[in-house]
Amino acid sequence: MLARVANNLFWMGRYIERSEHVARYLNVNYFSSLDAPHELSQSRQFMLRSMLFMIGDPINDHNLTLDEEQVLFNTALNQEKEYSIISNVKAARENANCARDLISTGLYEAINRFYHYVLNYNTDFFVKKGLYDFTVHIMEQTAVLRGKIRGSLLHDQVYAIIMLGINIERATQIIRIINAKYHDALLAMGSYSDEVAHSFEWTTLLKCIESYDMMRRFYRKTPTSSSTLEFLVLNGDCPRSVMNSLNQICKHMSVLDRSKHPLKDSTSFLVGKLRAEMEFTKVESIACDVQGFIEQILQKLVEISQKMEQEFFNY
Amino acid sequence: MEHLYQIVYSAKNCYEEVVKEAIWQFQILPLENESQHIVKWSFQNSLHTPYHVSINGLGFITIRLHPKHCFSEIEFKFECELVKKELNPFDFLPNLEPQDDYGKIASLAFKADNEIYLRRTPLSSLPSVHQSIFIFDTSQSIFQNLRDLNHWVYNHLHFTVGVTDVTTPLKDIIEQRQGVCQDFTHLFCAIAKENGIPSRYVSGYIHQGNNYFGDLQMHAWAEALVPNVGWVGFDPTNDILVAQNHIKVCHGKDYNDCSPLRGVVYSNGANETEYFVQVQSSQLQQ
Amino acid sequence: MEKKKNPIIFSSYEPRKGLFDEVFNENGSAKSIYKTLFDLYGGHSVNDYEILNSKAKASFFNQGITFQVYNDEQAQEKIFPFDLFPRIIHPLEWEIIEKGAIQRSRALNLFLWDIYHDKKVIKDKVVPLDLLSSSENYLHQMMHLDPPGKIYNHISGTDIIKHADGQYYVLEDNIRCPSGVSYVICNRTALKRALFGVFNHYQAHTVTNYAENLLQILETVKPRGVDNPNCVVITPGRFNSAYYEHSYLAKAMGVELVEGQDLFVENDFVYMKTINGPERVDVVYRRIDDAFIDPLEFRPDSALGVPGLFAAYRKGNVCLANAPGTGVADDKAVYTYMPEIIKYYLDEEPILNNVHTYRCSRPDELKYVLENIDKLVIKPVDEAGGYGISIGNQLTKSEIEKVKVTIKEHPRKYIAQPILSLSVHPTYIEDMGSFEQRHVDLRTFTLLGKDRDFVLKGGLTRVALRKGNLIVNSSQGGGSKDTWVLKTE
Repeated sequence: MLARVANNLFWMGRYIERSEHVARYLNVNYFSSLDAPHELSQSRQFMLRSMLFMIGDPINDHNLTLDEEQVLFNTALNQEKEYSIISNVKAARENANCARDLISTGLYEAINRFYHYVLNYNTDFFVKKGLYDFTVHIMEQTAVLRGKIRGSLLHDQVYAIIMLGINIERATQIIRIINAKYHDALLAMGSYSDEVAHSFEWTTLLKCIESYDMMRRFYRKTPTSSSTLEFLVLNGDCPRSVMNSLNQICKHMSVLDRSKHPLKDSTSFLVGKLRAEMEFTKVESIACDVQGFIEQILQKLVEISQKMEQEFFNY
Repeated sequence: MEHLYQIVYSAKNCYEEVVKEAIWQFQILPLENESQHIVKWSFQNSLHTPYHVSINGLGFITIRLHPKHCFSEIEFKFECELVKKELNPFDFLPNLEPQDDYGKIASLAFKADNEIYLRRTPLSSLPSVHQSIFIFDTSQSIFQNLRDLNHWVYNHLHFTVGVTDVTTPLKDIIEQRQGVCQDFTHLFCAIAKENGIPSRYVSGYIHQGNNYFGDLQMHAWAEALVPNVGWVGFDPTNDILVAQNHIKVCHGKDYNDCSPLRGVVYSNGANETEYFVQVQSSQLQQ
Repeated sequence: MEKKKNPIIFSSYEPRKGLFDEVFNENGSAKSIYKTLFDLYGGHSVNDYEILNSKAKASFFNQGITFQVYNDEQAQEKIFPFDLFPRIIHPLEWEIIEKGAIQRSRALNLFLWDIYHDKKVIKDKVVPLDLLSSSENYLHQMMHLDPPGKIYNHISGTDIIKHADGQYYVLEDNIRCPSGVSYVICNRTALKRALFGVFNHYQAHTVTNYAENLLQILETVKPRGVDNPNCVVITPGRFNSAYYEHSYLAKAMGVELVEGQDLFVENDFVYMKTINGPERVDVVYRRIDDAFIDPLEFRPDSALGVPGLFAAYRKGNVCLANAPGTGVADDKAVYTYMPEIIKYYLDEEPILNNVHTYRCSRPDELKYVLENIDKLVIKPVDEAGGYGISIGNQLTKSEIEKVKVTIKEHPRKYIAQPILSLSVHPTYIEDMGSFEQRHVDLRTFTLLGKDRDFVLKGGLTRVALRKGNLIVNSSQGGGSKDTWVLKTE
């Protein structure tokens, strides 16, 4: 496989995954804020700021009043914003275009249809009435795409590279969402009767990562900061956990790099090392410095992505 | 008698921004032929990138370099030792009947075989207003006419550095009457072609001992095909016939076929390149 | 609510006099070969047909089968307009087309060999020297160079029309990078999806075997000493108007689709940059024009090509298809000599007709052209895609004068041909909600390898969608039809 095209496949995977997380974050935050238990968590401004924080465009000016329709438009349909869903879908399709000869017709057509759906979505309708419809469609379409990826491609290097993109992005987005919600929980501290540990934001967080139901099933208790972190970071059985993503990354990495003892400066080595570290991490050590943990793991994921680029996509 | 030449071609390229990747192709290695024989040569660069030798589309040897590491400055040094035989450019039997030669160059087969060096390229075609700037005297031999043309070009242009570059149209050169060896050569070729004589641009080195124009840089001269004789070299910049002081590298339709350095450089921003040539000679004892 | 009865889609079909209708006889009845098809289509109401039509269009759109049209300002992404009513070619007619196309390809290949070697064709005064010496596409780098298998034009696209006399005429031989073959296959797919019912009634040859034949042809011209050649398709990139085709062909052949930046040359061998390191490349089906394939040899500002590719080719370490320098024979001025070229090299009579051509470079013919512009089509010799064509009887007086001046300035650059009456075919016009006559041509695809050739049984029937328009190129707003070559009964 061409190095350039591998890079396209990798990013196609990342952009598909990213669209889904942004869409769900929008959806869950918006709708759970409507009947949230506290004044601040119910505040529109608070919710909009949270969206922009997660997406990477934080507002630091506390006095600024945000325009809801503008924020929604920017995060979903504004092509001029790099972080918008439409930009992500467009980038996914452009990357797919470059690798068109390697992926199945079915997958390509699904991506293309997806792109046209987003492109033709009525902006006015979206900001006034379409938020639910649009975000749900994005989430469903990304699931369809993942199904096509798994079900219609040869499970060879092409598949491995797309899956690496998806899983590195998933781990990154989970961490980013944890970061955003942790940030919200800190801000909301004063207004809660409880402390950060029992914040309402943890429930929202789990919903943002589509893991609330399973989390309840697993712990049978109201989520707290530590059980939520344990579930989303360390539980390898949770399909959306960082641990699960790392397991997937390791598995797909082994398709690209078959060496039994990977070289010290290889991607395989970095991935294996991070996975081993996480395997023997306890939630207590994360909980005592959540911010430090978030920064550290984001840094490591970036390193892995850069190493991959160097090792496989350098053309 | 033979001459031993020592040729040095050195160049330095500086880039404002870091270069990710570059590929250069040098066309500076002297040609091996009856009168030229390379004793040894070497090519070095400051990045210590290994070079490859290849052959370009017109059949001349090129030296190719492909550094894959980032850099912002590179120096090249090419050295060559070459033995050149003493040449007598008049060493042929002139055709006593010039009309036969004119008949030959007018024949279809001759024109077809030499299409490449009769072709008007943008750099070597006479602008229509100057089409009859120099008409051959068909009562004289082709060789004599070419010698006259050589002299005429020498007188028409004044050797001046810095007024023209490789893209200056011939019209401007004819009208400004200034230029460097490329311009002299293009003008010679254009007129020769206009008169039906296949002629080609030659790139090479000239030995500077005799105060000829063209040292310190690659030199250029022309070769014209004289029926029954073959390709004869004319150096209109110096008003001489090509002899042992000229060391040929390659030939082509015009400068574009012969540029000593072609390159593809992946970098933004400006660059500065400079190069110079040195040719030293010593006579060899038989 | 008013209930309207749907008219039948052929009811407003109006045949014009003097045009050759491929489907209907002069008395309005369908020709025997189209009889069944006409009955099957004629039964549709406009509504039903519109639904089928929009489904077919959506199928193209979702498949991302689009091309870019270049306007003055920017490129636009468009669907290639497609007509659901197919064109049928009788096996006996096809036999002539197929033989004629191969004959032309072979003759052109021999012509190319000759003009890059001894130029006998010129010395024997069959074609004028001027054809080479004034052609910018004649590459001196190709002189005395022997391409693998002695093949230059591995892939040719021959544009053929049916004139009012019912005879086929060749309009053009495209042997640089002819495109369109992917649309042949897409049209078939779209038609099958929309109207599978009609297929059962006809026995048409398949068109999906093109890619496998192309790969086999490319493998016949592998470099010396290579057993299993590694073939690639090189594209200028995804912004090229034919990118869909490039990716389709790569995918259908199962080979890599590369861009210039994916290849590099070392020691005169070509490699591609894969995730596992460099991998040697032996045959390159190139969809990049000559001038751009190698910045060290041709245009130095080309960012599309591969530095050093030509030197590798020259050494015989890689094969390029088509060979560089084929453009010289793709020239419309060479076209006018095709009958002579075929006789000279093959000692055969041309199987397919050539359109009589007036060469503006000849004073007597120039005179005729200037005096009869209103009866002629004026074409520049070196433009592709239907650009720069003037059709005499559609010009105003002042336009005619303008054209005259242009021709007189550069007579070598223009040829003229009688205005041919391209045959017409019923084509569904959305704005009218019914079928109307539209002019069509046919591009056939011929492959030439070492001891092997192939003509795709089918082709691209291009339709001029504007009423009365004779120019069918996609860049000029033309559409296309599926083309059925029937099997011999």
